[in-house]
Amino acid sequence: MITEKSAMVSVTNLTKSFGTVVAVNDISFEVKPGEIFGLLGPNGAGKTTTVKQILGLLEQEQGEIKVFGLDPGKDDVEIKRNIGYVSEDPLIYKSMTPRMLFNFIASIRGMDESETTKKLQYYFESLEAVEYYDKLVATLSRGNKQKMQVIAALIHEPLLLIMDEPLTGLDAKSAKVVKEILELHKERGGSVIFSTHILEVAEEMCDRIAIMDKGKIIAMGTVEELSKMANKVGADLEDIFLKLTNQDESVNHIVKNLRNMINGNKRS
Amino acid sequence: MLSNKELYRISKRVYREGILHGQLQSAGSDQARFLEKIDKDKTQRSPDIILKIMSAIYIAGLVTIPIFALITIHSTLSSGIDPSWVTFVGSLSVSGFLVMQPAILLIFSFMFTWGIMSGGPYKWIHTLPLGRKDIERIGFFTFLRSINVQLISMSLVLPTGIVVSIVVVLGSEISVLSLILLIVSSLLLSIINLVFNLSLLVIISRKMAIIMEDQEVNSRKTNIIRVVSMILYMIIAMGVMYLIQIAIAKIPELYAMQSWTADTTNVVNIILSIIPFPFAGGYLLTIIAMDFTNVSGVLIGGSLLGLILFIFLTYFIYKKALSTLRNISSTELKKYSMEKKEVFVEDITIKTSGPTLAFLKRDFAIITREMSSIMIMIMPFMIPLYMLFIPIDAQVTIGPAGLTIVMIIMLFYVSMVSVMLVMGLTNIESGGSTITASLPISVRDQVKSKVPHFVVTIPLALIVAMLMRIGTSQFTQLISFALAFLPVIPIVCLASLFFKAFLFGKMKHKIVLEEIKLERKVVKHILVFVFTFGLMAAFIFVSAYGFLYLGIAEVVSAILLYITYNIMFPK
Ligand SMILES: Nc1ncnc2c1ncn2[C@@H]1O[C@H](COP(=O)(O)OP(=O)(O)OP(=O)(O)O)[C@@H](O)[C@H]1O
Ligand SMILES: [Mg+2]
Repeated sequence: MITEKSAMVSVTNLTKSFGTVVAVNDISFEVKPGEIFGLLGPNGAGKTTTVKQILGLLEQEQGEIKVFGLDPGKDDVEIKRNIGYVSEDPLIYKSMTPRMLFNFIASIRGMDESETTKKLQYYFESLEAVEYYDKLVATLSRGNKQKMQVIAALIHEPLLLIMDEPLTGLDAKSAKVVKEILELHKERGGSVIFSTHILEVAEEMCDRIAIMDKGKIIAMGTVEELSKMANKVGADLEDIFLKLTNQDESVNHIVKNLRNMINGNKRS
Repeated sequence: MLSNKELYRISKRVYREGILHGQLQSAGSDQARFLEKIDKDKTQRSPDIILKIMSAIYIAGLVTIPIFALITIHSTLSSGIDPSWVTFVGSLSVSGFLVMQPAILLIFSFMFTWGIMSGGPYKWIHTLPLGRKDIERIGFFTFLRSINVQLISMSLVLPTGIVVSIVVVLGSEISVLSLILLIVSSLLLSIINLVFNLSLLVIISRKMAIIMEDQEVNSRKTNIIRVVSMILYMIIAMGVMYLIQIAIAKIPELYAMQSWTADTTNVVNIILSIIPFPFAGGYLLTIIAMDFTNVSGVLIGGSLLGLILFIFLTYFIYKKALSTLRNISSTELKKYSMEKKEVFVEDITIKTSGPTLAFLKRDFAIITREMSSIMIMIMPFMIPLYMLFIPIDAQVTIGPAGLTIVMIIMLFYVSMVSVMLVMGLTNIESGGSTITASLPISVRDQVKSKVPHFVVTIPLALIVAMLMRIGTSQFTQLISFALAFLPVIPIVCLASLFFKAFLFGKMKHKIVLEEIKLERKVVKHILVFVFTFGLMAAFIFVSAYGFLYLGIAEVVSAILLYITYNIMFPK
């Protein structure tokens, strides 16, 4: 039974490598009910790898993962019943239409027809995707494919949402709608693991943030706690992030070089 | 305006893009993996070269049919056979060649021209600062590129073949005037035929591209059209190969077996000679090769009229092909109707089914839409064709033992088809839908959903293959053989599926159908093949002791299989 105190997800000393690349290096964190937990980090930091292991999509090597107290390597089917997942690339069967896709999903999840129909209508209407219901997925735009993924993750009202860059490709209005849906989900006691490299989004949405770099968690806490750690009280997340990842110096350097180069090539 | 040379160079990029497009389309849901492969393995990038050379050689080889027919005309005539019949058979052979040439061209080139014809590759060309006329010419050059090797073979082969062999063999038999006429007219015919074939290829590839890539709503009708055209394509491919073999072997016999009276033959000749494609050309060459002896003026007139009609027809088709090419390089695949269909929220409904049926429905949706899957699903239906074609002579010459050999070869063919089917079906699973990755999928249900394919498709194909021999003396023997082996097929298929899952899908706590353990992949694929063939061989071996033992083996292995299923894919 999931109680107020027990964690939705707990990760302890997780390590995963691909050949010689250590993608995730000894990380530990917990996600509590009613919390939006951000995984923030530059490209290649290991966010996607972490998330995939929580879902049991990658084999575990070292460390321990518990989702709802279960082991994703063993009980992945049970876990997936209560998880909604948005992957970073919307790879959906291109030769199906959303209608076929959602029939498939609802069948596999054993959902009720009339109830699901109502929810689906609601989501399609609020994300303005009604007209694509019978179009081939292959013909949908990037953002519309992303909407299908998001709806597929929400439709069964899971306890835990794992969202890997969920807002990529969405227009301003849809992004806003998705953010509101996530807030609602949180208010009702659900949790979200939110992986992103967009700082504003993390700052706006997440209750706690883990900053990842080169496979390690280098800092974790609320935005205030992080700013204390970076000795930059009141600073925005961008400064904190650059400071903590030791990138502030190198960014200044890059910006300076960029300016020099562009000034040297004045348009005629 | 850029020079033709520059445009031809640019067309290389478009052509490569077109090839990749076609490959991606055939890779279907397996695209991500295909792209990774192409990144590592550079030879994957030009899969067209071998096919181009093969088809060029095939086209060149085809020319032996008309040449053989033409050079035997005189000896046939002098052996006293009715000249009208000789004309008929000779023309038929040459005409056969004229039909097969575009057929071969189409069969071999289609895979590549189709990617170009879809118009996809031209999209980025439009982002470059190029004029409309330039883009049109690039479209033309791209198409030429896709068949450049075959083109050389097509334009050179008939005239040179005729010059060389006919001058050598017929030189002393026919007049110099006829000889010159023959060379000139075969040259002329080659050129017209070339234009005709190219135009036909353009139009047909375009039609196929539209059928295969129709992005409109996934209607049942388009699905059926798609499957039927793929089946036709494969049947034509097989049929043509078969016809060529027959033709070369049977021409002398054909000359000797006149079945109509001379009068009927004359009438048939005249009617056929007026038909522009392919007969007019065939008649013309034959008449000249006969040195106009015993040929009525009407027939000469008829074939000349046919030739003129052929020129007109070619011109017409050429015009049509040009406008098709223009369309591809300038507009989208298909003009959608502008009136927008109103869509209401009420249209959004859900129909659920059990998981096994859901998997079946999904598989069907993917199979009917993606080239590679369609091909694999069609493979089983080649089994009856095998029965129809290959063993015709074998049984006559080898007798009852030959029949057994035929059956054994067929069973091995069946196991090959089984492996392919298993591969196609598991490819769909590993075809990387990230949405399915997040679904609580029970592998047990997934496996269950594959069983209907094994129980229905291949056994049905095998029965149909046997029915091809209905009414013959071996029919009872064949059908009892097939029925006895019927349960073996699903057993072998499932065992192959389990073994493949065991090699490729072994995880710490369970076995999945996706290919996730990709290291030493080639070895594993070979193992799956060997395993499946070995299993089939074992059954054949047991059957040699009698069908009773075969039955026992079937029951025992079915039980073993069920136990394995429960161990590998527990509830
Ligand atoms: N299947 C794989 N095989 C080999 N290396 C991999 C694989 N998947 C990830 N990696 C490597 O692991 C590291 C972490 O990758 P990951 O995808 O987790 O990063 P990320 O934080 O999600 O980055 P991004 O912000 O770009 O999505 C990278 O160095 C990547 O190259
Ligand atoms: Mg990522």
